[in-house]
Order: sequence, then C-alpha cells, then structure tokens
Amino acid sequence: MSAPSSQQVLEALATIRDPDLGRDVVSLGMIKELEVSPQGKVSFTFELTTPACPVRDRFKSQAEDAVRELAGVTDVAVRMTANVRPAFMRPKPSEILPGVKQTIAVASGKGGVGKSTVAVNLAAALRLSGATVGLLDADIYGPSVPVMTGSHTTPQQSNGRLLPIEAHGMKLMSFGHLNPGSEPTIYRGPMVGKAIEAMMVQVDWGRLDYLVIDLPPGTGDASLTLAQAVPLTGVAIVCTPQDVATDIAVKALQMFRRLNVTPLGLIENMSWYVCPSCGHRHEIFSHGGAESAAKRFGVPFLGAIPLEEAIREDADSGTPIVISRPESAGAKAFVAIAQQVAARTSIQSYRQLPVINVH
Amino acid sequence: MEITWEDGARTSYTGEQLRWACPCAECRGEGGAPGRLSRVKALSDEELRIKDVTLIGQYALQIAFESGHATGLYSFSLLRRLVA
Repeated sequence: MSAPSSQQVLEALATIRDPDLGRDVVSLGMIKELEVSPQGKVSFTFELTTPACPVRDRFKSQAEDAVRELAGVTDVAVRMTANVRPAFMRPKPSEILPGVKQTIAVASGKGGVGKSTVAVNLAAALRLSGATVGLLDADIYGPSVPVMTGSHTTPQQSNGRLLPIEAHGMKLMSFGHLNPGSEPTIYRGPMVGKAIEAMMVQVDWGRLDYLVIDLPPGTGDASLTLAQAVPLTGVAIVCTPQDVATDIAVKALQMFRRLNVTPLGLIENMSWYVCPSCGHRHEIFSHGGAESAAKRFGVPFLGAIPLEEAIREDADSGTPIVISRPESAGAKAFVAIAQQVAARTSIQSYRQLPVINVH
Repeated sequence: MEITWEDGARTSYTGEQLRWACPCAECRGEGGAPGRLSRVKALSDEELRIKDVTLIGQYALQIAFESGHATGLYSFSLLRRLVA
C-alpha cells in the first residue's frame, strides 16, 4: 500500500477544531514541518498558540488518531510545540512594550480580594508551562509583588533603562522595588498615571510571551492610564463570592468594556475552605457568586480558588504556591485558571484592530 | 481619514467633519458652560486639517490638527455614530 499524500494528511487533520478559536487547526496554521516518507511514516509539528493550552493532550491524541486512520500510514510522530502570537493583527508593532506579545491585566474593582496573589500565581503558572513571563505590579500605593515573590533587590540600570528583577524565572517590576521599606508613596492621580507609564516605557522588558499586570483596586487613574497606553489583550477580574465583592467586580468589568478591553473572565477567590481538623468544607464568603455574575454579564467564568492557609503562607515567604506546592488544591486551581486565561488570550491574536488611513 | 473596522466595515471622514465633532471639554463645554464650538461660526483651514492620528488603547483615536489642537479623544462608538 502506498503512503498518503501530504494533502490527504492535512485533510485528515483539518477535522480537528480548536474549541476556543472555532476553526480547524490546519487553517489556523498550527500544523508545520509535515513530512510523509514513502514507507508511510508521517511526522509533523503541532504548534499551539500557548504552552499553557488546556487541550494540549487532547489535540495530540486527536492528531495521532486522525492520521493513523488514513490508508498507508505506518507510523505517526507528532511534535507538540507552542508559539505565543502577538495580540491583534496590526501593521506595525506597538511602540510601547514592543517585545511583549500579550498583555494581561488582573483587576478587581474591590480591594482585599486577593488580586495580587492571583496575579503572581497566574504569572508563575504561565512560566511553569514554558512561556516567557513578566509581572508588572501597577499597584503604586500597595505594592505586594516584592513580598510575594521574595524579591527585595533594587533594579539595576543599563543604558538609561531599568532592568527588571529576575525571580522564579520571571521578570518583575514593582514600585516596591523602586521605593522599598515602610515609606509610603503619596501621589495624586496624574502622578500614578506617569508612574505606570514609566514602568512600561523605562523598563527594559525585552521579549515576553506574556506580561501580567497587577492593577490596583478601583476604576480610576491606574486602570485608565493602562487602557490608554497599551492595547491590552484582555483583563481578568478577581472577586470573592459575596455580593459586596461581585457587585464591585462587575463595575470594573463594565469599565473595561467601555474602554473596549476584552474581559477574559471572572475568577472567584476564597471560594471555599476545608477545615484541617474536621475536614469539613466551609463556604465562608458564600460560593458561586462570581460564576453567576459571569453568566449574568455574558463573560467566561475562569475558575474558583480555595481559601488555603498554604497560599497565604507561601505568599508571605516569597514563593508562589504553584511553585512551592504544585500538588495542593490551590496550586491546581491556579494552573487550571492560567490555562483558561491563556486560551482566552489566544483568541485575541486573531482579532484585527481598526486600520486608520489619513490622506 | 478612512477607517477599516474589525467587522470589515469602512467609514471615511473629512477633517472638517471631525474638527466640528471634537468631544474635548474645551470644544464641547463642561459643567453647563458652553464650549468653543458653540461660540464660533467658522474655523480656519489650519484648524480643519488633520496632522496626526494616534490609537488610544483600543477604544479611541486621538486626532491632532495642524493648528495644534489635539485634546479630543474620539471613541470608536463616536466615530461610528458620526457616519450612521
């Protein structure tokens, strides 16, 4: 029996659809370096749009099965790789953050819901999947990233630009690095905007697949500056389950919608607590509030994170829980959420910003 | 100025049309006080010629005119409304 043609292999692979992008993987350009030997050995590279792809394993087995069913195929070898694509198809790269492919903001509206903890673990989970990741702490008044990542050094300068701090394989920059200790940053609104802009323009972020931006609470200067300065790929909104938190989270969501920033979805933090002595599951702040708010406002629900002592402990001691205790329920929840965020982010790579011509 | 939108639609504008639609506080007025555009009857050629257009995030355009006026952020929804 003779080997199939490359065309036949591609037709078989075109039956696989990407559930998030809604198109087949061949027309999305994910199949590369296809080779078919005269003996019927088929090999190709399956290039995902993110290393944190939630359907990576399913894609691999689907691809193997689809090709193996073809007459004349004796062997199938699939190489799974990932190449994060820049957000939005546009004629020229962004002038601000030119080497950054995707910018993901983490916002909350309300304070104290664990936004920074989520941002740090989201960034660390994306890093663990193999992506190059930066984390910008845009909370000028209450920078938490230095403590949560155990990075207390002062940034070095090179060619007049600041070098980000390296920790846990990520590039970090926080106002807490620039203004350490117990001295507060006492800024009026316009200064906040300038400071955030400076952390994007004056910091040499280099090439990054993802830049995660931890926003301060609220719907004011910091969020506005950010949404005006860069075409954000999207925003993930963190809240706790009770009404007082989801109501404010929804305000943040609606603000970003007005600014035409895509909501990647809602994340429910402190969703449940398993008592270490009795093993009983308590829902201290209620449960499911974020999911029902997400439904009501037509955005994805990205997942729920338990209230765990270990998450707090590891944040205080400077190692994100996804790194320190990957087997914990908390870490697993963060990893699953990071995959959802990455998948939603990939969709934005295929969007086209308006093209403006002046003549 | 011509815009090709995400949904494929195309719209075009003259500098004059955009200048008179400037949404900035100086032109529109604020807090009940009338703005400059409701006071003046005519604008010079320099005021009507587009010099530069900058994308603001992904929700608006900042349009600079030859006269130096550049404070208006034209949101996408405003721009689409102008030609509807």
